[in-house]
Amino acid sequence: MSCEELVGVLLDFVGGDLSPEQRAVIEQHLCGCPPCGQHVEEYRLTIRVTRLLPKADPLPPAFEARLRAALAAAERGE
Amino acid sequence: MPSPPDPPETADLPPPTPEHVFREYAPRIYNLARRMLGNDADAEDVTQDVLVQVVRKLHTFRGESQLPTWLHRVTVNAALAHREKRANRQKREMATGDEALEAIAADPPTVGVRLPRPGAEAAPEQTVLAAEQRAVIERAIAKLPEGFREVYVLADVEGLPNAEIADMLDLSVAAVKSRLHRARERMRVLLAPHFEEALT
Repeated sequence: MSCEELVGVLLDFVGGDLSPEQRAVIEQHLCGCPPCGQHVEEYRLTIRVTRLLPKADPLPPAFEARLRAALAAAERGE
Repeated sequence: MPSPPDPPETADLPPPTPEHVFREYAPRIYNLARRMLGNDADAEDVTQDVLVQVVRKLHTFRGESQLPTWLHRVTVNAALAHREKRANRQKREMATGDEALEAIAADPPTVGVRLPRPGAEAAPEQTVLAAEQRAVIERAIAKLPEGFREVYVLADVEGLPNAEIADMLDLSVAAVKSRLHRARERMRVLLAPHFEEALT
């Protein structure tokens, strides 16, 4: 497997969507290729830190007030 | 904005109240829209449009078991429609997605902020990002070209499966995977300098 081929299957590799045989080929490449090892590590870290972002940060206070007013008007059928 | 799809029929339960919907879902709708659209003002417009339409349809809801999924879809549709309207109005999207992706690499990274290195098994709630760390990641997401950004946000922020994203965005699963991979690679380029210290 070449470095380019490895990058091409990275999404499936980190997603656990490859067969044991395919994974073994990649692991073998990674053992002998530090740059690819770093690439894979950075790719995984990128996914993990992105997942740390909060999904429901509080609304900005000024917007919350405007939104409440708009919803109240909608409830009244305006 | 197009009308949202009809809410799913559910069991014979009382509909959620507007206050409940506001408290539970407004922040999620707003954050999803902000990340998809890349700015606060557009996210506010979309959040208000979505919630007003939801409140008007609440009486047709019974229970809320499927409300989150439905709201996800409605928000994505509204954000995409808003973006299209904005693009048509401004006529400013000259670069193709590929050109914009290439341009990102030349953008100098924010220096001085180190990102955490969560392990594979770490639950998100076990690591809290500092404000400046969040800002680094949010800025990187905002730099992703349209077409790639929404796939990245839905997959790697919202955690939706590729098939669901494909359905929402009217793409093939293969197209979602291709865009997601390329978006992750660009995010990696943007974030890697912040991992550098620990890797070397």
